Amino acid sequence: MPHPNQKGYFGEFGGKFIPETLSFCLKELENSYRNIKKDKNFKNEFKSLLNQYAGRPTPLYYARPLSNYLGMKVYIKREDLLHTGAHKINNALGQALLAKFMGKKRIIAETGAGQHGVATATAATLLGIKCEVYMGQEDMQRQKANVFRMRILGAKVIPVKTGSKTLKDACNQAFRDWVTNVSGTYYLLGSAVGPHPYPKIVRDFQTVIGKEAKRQILQAEGKLPDYLVACVGGGSNAIGFFHPFYKKTKVKFIGVEAAGFGLGGLSAASLVKGSLGVFQGSKSYVLQNKNGQIKNAHSIAPGLDYPGVGPEHSFYKSIKRAEYKAVSDKQALEGFNLLSRLEGIIPALEPAHAVYYLKKLAKSAKGKTVILCLSGRGDKDLDIVRKSVILSPKGEGSHSS
Amino acid sequence: MKIETKFNQLKKEGRKAFIAYFPFGFPKISYSNDIFLALQDAGVDIIELGFPFSDPLADGPIIQKASVTALEQNISINSFFANIRKIKKEIKIPVVVMSYYNPIFKYKVGSFFQRLRENEIRGTILVDLPFEESGNYINAAEKSGIDPIFFITPVTAAKRMKKIAKGAKGFIYYISTTGITGPRSLQHKDIASHIKRIKEISNTPVCVGFGIHNNQQVKKISSISDGVIVGSEIVKFISQNYKKKNFLKRLKNHVRKLRS
Repeated sequence: MPHPNQKGYFGEFGGKFIPETLSFCLKELENSYRNIKKDKNFKNEFKSLLNQYAGRPTPLYYARPLSNYLGMKVYIKREDLLHTGAHKINNALGQALLAKFMGKKRIIAETGAGQHGVATATAATLLGIKCEVYMGQEDMQRQKANVFRMRILGAKVIPVKTGSKTLKDACNQAFRDWVTNVSGTYYLLGSAVGPHPYPKIVRDFQTVIGKEAKRQILQAEGKLPDYLVACVGGGSNAIGFFHPFYKKTKVKFIGVEAAGFGLGGLSAASLVKGSLGVFQGSKSYVLQNKNGQIKNAHSIAPGLDYPGVGPEHSFYKSIKRAEYKAVSDKQALEGFNLLSRLEGIIPALEPAHAVYYLKKLAKSAKGKTVILCLSGRGDKDLDIVRKSVILSPKGEGSHSS
Repeated sequence: MKIETKFNQLKKEGRKAFIAYFPFGFPKISYSNDIFLALQDAGVDIIELGFPFSDPLADGPIIQKASVTALEQNISINSFFANIRKIKKEIKIPVVVMSYYNPIFKYKVGSFFQRLRENEIRGTILVDLPFEESGNYINAAEKSGIDPIFFITPVTAAKRMKKIAKGAKGFIYYISTTGITGPRSLQHKDIASHIKRIKEISNTPVCVGFGIHNNQQVKKISSISDGVIVGSEIVKFISQNYKKKNFLKRLKNHVRKLRS
């Protein structure tokens, strides 16, 4: 059975839980996407943008020092080398091109870490479409450099001062904008979350990661890997990476969520700690209290700081196709150091969670072959890492090595 | 009182429905029943009692802010029902509950309708539960004799409108313009032509909400529909006046002026 089905469900997860006004927008999006996916001009233009502009294919790098250190064969899929510094550009270019083909004059987006905002601002500028990005006020403080980058690129950054002032509220605000401006505006959602067809569209545009990795690992090793490891916030880099290997059941998938201050406290580990709910358009795992109110998430990595997760990951969890683990702020900083010191690669704090998890995996997977998806680079996080001592309530997570 | 009975009564009297929205627990749980009874006293025909949600993505700043305040008191569906039960004997008009889907999903749809029935609440409106996702919900509603109320908007396609109107119970909630809740100016001509189209395919009363915030709009929209829903304006009035002396009297006067 193809996933998602016609109603946008991956098993029991997904769907379209939205205010009536948006039915119109989502139907239009669904129809346009279905037509454009088969359009030769679209396919050629998208491919050429990915290759000529974004810098694809990205290398699959054999990480010798890290492999020696861990006693596993570790390959790194270098999404951090892409233009704008993260995998987000794959989806932003795809959707911005879709917006252009649909004749939309204005693109809106939400952003947490600012990577999706920067990628969207970049793609919109390139294609000559006006761009406005909603960003939580707290994230604007945490990721000042990205706010500046978006503004340099000509995008308008709109601070969101409601709720937790982070990604989930930026997302609410983008939906409110879209409900108001239904016909001329394209909502460029940044992760594989939200109502159908977004989880599918975003996944499709990100599967380039997994497709390339598959080809590259076969070339390098002559066989498929034992494990794929990626960080999961909303889950777009992970689903794009995993999906092309879906039927290769010997390849194990591990998604690494943010445990924040630890699983007992504030976290962003929707799959590990959450329960089934309906949030921002789809049925999926979500962090909520016993009254069905959505909790505020916390992670040192702004891109993981989200209480929900894409429905396809919930589906993978339910059928045990993937395993989901959680890594704390403190451990993520350890992962950040590890990759920086061993490989000379400074990772973004989001994939630093996945880097740390490799250490745990190594205990039971000696000699195995692993591909890590390095979804972004760490330039944006230098301020956070520098201040990381004060980020933790008990003074844990001190960053001194 | 059933919603249908109310509309029949209004028809006989040659009046249109004035429906008032306010969120439970705002500004405090202890205010909710007093506000309810004041609105009833002021001649409100149907009360739309909101159960606040943490992420109200169809609501404007006024209701967002009120939701945050209400949720600070850690309200639950159970406390919601326990509270309204206290004034059950005094309630003379139909009550509908308005919320988002997740709190109800978490509580379990079946149990929720059981509670509604026990408390003689007549209808439900869930903002983010569109028609195609509501199979179980409609069944549960039917089983308990409660009206599931659905939205039609200016951009609802004709085919879809037919489907929604066909299954409609209680009243159809027509959204005046694309957008979120909160005060704004309205295009009466557009609203009138949309309502005419709905009326061609359905006998269910059509009430208009979103944006209506003054007496002039209430009059104009009432003249082209079966009633109006006023929300943000009432919430705004509550938030600006609840600390003042004679708050309930002021609220009654304000609502009387709105619907006069």
